[in-house]
Amino acid sequence: MDEKAVMKELPAVRKLVYGNLMETYLPFPVDMKASSRWAVEADVPRNTDTIIFTSHMYQMGSMFKNYEKYIPLFTKLGGSKMIASVGSRLIKTDKSEAERSTRILKNIYSMLLKSGIKCGYLYEDEPYSGSLLLELGFVDEFMEYGRKLLSLFKSRGVKNIYTVDPHTTNSLTNLKKMIGFDIKSTPYLNAISGTNGSGKFVLHDSCLYSRFLGMYDDVRLVAKNAGIELLEDPDVTGKSTSFCCGGPIGPVNAEISSKVASLRVKQLNTVSDTILVVCPLCYENLSEFGNVKDIAEVMA
Amino acid sequence: MNWTDVADLVIKGNNREVEHVLKNYPYIPAIAEDLRKKKLQVLEDLPRYIQETMKNVEKLGGHAYLARDADEARKIIGKIVSTKKTVVFSKSNVAYEIGLREFLQETGNDAWETDLGEYLVQLQNGWPAHIVAPAIDLTREDAATLVSRIDKNITKDSKIEDIVAAVRKFLMDKYIKADVGITGANAVAADSGSIALVENEGNIRIDSVLPQTHISVTGIDKIVPTLPDALNEIYVQSAYAGLFPPTYINITSGPSSTGDIELKRVSPATGPKDFHLVLIDNGRLNASRDEKIKEALLCIKCGRCYLACPVYRAIGKEWISTKSPYGGPTGVMWNYITNNDPWPASFCMHSGGCSEVCPMKIDIPTVIREIKSRGNRTLS
Ligand code: SF4
Repeated sequence: MDEKAVMKELPAVRKLVYGNLMETYLPFPVDMKASSRWAVEADVPRNTDTIIFTSHMYQMGSMFKNYEKYIPLFTKLGGSKMIASVGSRLIKTDKSEAERSTRILKNIYSMLLKSGIKCGYLYEDEPYSGSLLLELGFVDEFMEYGRKLLSLFKSRGVKNIYTVDPHTTNSLTNLKKMIGFDIKSTPYLNAISGTNGSGKFVLHDSCLYSRFLGMYDDVRLVAKNAGIELLEDPDVTGKSTSFCCGGPIGPVNAEISSKVASLRVKQLNTVSDTILVVCPLCYENLSEFGNVKDIAEVMA
Repeated sequence: MNWTDVADLVIKGNNREVEHVLKNYPYIPAIAEDLRKKKLQVLEDLPRYIQETMKNVEKLGGHAYLARDADEARKIIGKIVSTKKTVVFSKSNVAYEIGLREFLQETGNDAWETDLGEYLVQLQNGWPAHIVAPAIDLTREDAATLVSRIDKNITKDSKIEDIVAAVRKFLMDKYIKADVGITGANAVAADSGSIALVENEGNIRIDSVLPQTHISVTGIDKIVPTLPDALNEIYVQSAYAGLFPPTYINITSGPSSTGDIELKRVSPATGPKDFHLVLIDNGRLNASRDEKIKEALLCIKCGRCYLACPVYRAIGKEWISTKSPYGGPTGVMWNYITNNDPWPASFCMHSGGCSEVCPMKIDIPTVIREIKSRGNRTLS
């Protein structure tokens, strides 16, 4: 493998992601207005001690996926601030994608409300979890940023967090072990009840939910309780036989990322043409090769 | 068939086989759990177990050595083998790790791999694609093309049976002439100085009995407290490799011996006159003292984690096995331990299937993340 390229790229990624996070709580320039549109439309309260923490994952899913495309440019450009300004010109989410994420987040919020959970949102102050640092192996930087994140939440009086995606959930779980992050967090899928859904799908498990966070059965139960039919095949959807969408390796090697995604879709399609996911990054990676829906698009 | 199709078939096959084995031999997981404990026990005090092992090998009339690194190991073995010898190798990853076959060839010996897959890799002048099935990436046609180099009757259309027969014929000649047999060891029992080896082809049995000198070269991580533990390692390794019961299990305790006259154990008898155990450190001792990496030493090289890994599924041996015999998720850990090379870890996408299937319950993703982060720390 081209390890030399990786060794050249990683410092640039670190400089960019870590540099931006420590300055702005965001890994790259994010259009905060667009990112919080869903909350404005759903009239989500501010200043609450219970919050929904999107970590911009649904809103910026395609940015995370396309990150690797900009790496050669970032490598050439150097400094994080300059990169940030270049990034703001370059990286954009498209309109239909923005509408989709607004729909999904509004729906997650309303499912929580329906389940008796009242939560607010940090709007323009919403940070990013730092998961990219953790997943790329910048553990020291992740912990340092985690401390900053914890004090931000504390300064806002946050006592209870509902996460909407596996990467953020996993980051907070790791921060608990690594730095004693002591704010309670719950994945929304483990909090909702009384939902209704429909359709017949093959579930592509999130690696983090199923194999790292012990939620393999939980996710199935949520779908089943909502009335969604999941088709299973032990060779494809078993806890140890299913595999990654390829997303996390995107910033390191786009080619392998894409190859894994296409292999996974090919395998999933032997069970069903319609694939259900529970993670915005899985959606981004797999939807290039098949027909994919997020669970929050098929239940309410 | 391209690599990803081959991988898909192999993965499905292995999953079914292991499932079948665990259903029919339900005692295996409990043995694996016990083995994990025993191996951890050894890692707590590896130097003492090394000493005990070496002492017991010598007691049986064998010779035991501890090599700090690859270079030292090659020197020790080079001295035992000397030159102009015929040497038969059974599949040993440690031999690959230290470049032993090439070294013995360069020093004027006729050295041959006798495991069929490994033999094909030798003809190919390549690296093994999988720790248990080294030639997993070769099709029948690839194998035929390679074997046609040593047997003119083999053509690209030859049947698998004919290819295997041609190799068998070639190797028979080498077995008869062999002065030295070099094997690895799946496990080494500290309390008896015995080595345990598992196989299906029968080549290890010949390599370890027919030549008059038997050298076993293996890592210090293979030491377990007792002979029953060594047998347990064999059971677990073969079960999770999907080949259970294994066709042959070999236990070797020193050179050949007999107690037929007055019940006095004397050596040699019919088999090898000399038995040498070369234990290799090459980074393992350091790893045993490194709390964050230590778990990797529990690996029994069943190769299951390879098959649960999307990176291996996508790119196979291109990932690591061009510079180390260890590939897949365990290869990330082992390439770090033995080559001090953290970079293959960057390609890990933390899919997590590796630790799900690992019989030793190694938290592979956490070890890999640590290796990733150590590599990253060296970047400016
Ligand atoms: S790490 Fe576990 S699964 Fe992988 S080869 Fe070693 S024992 Fe087998």
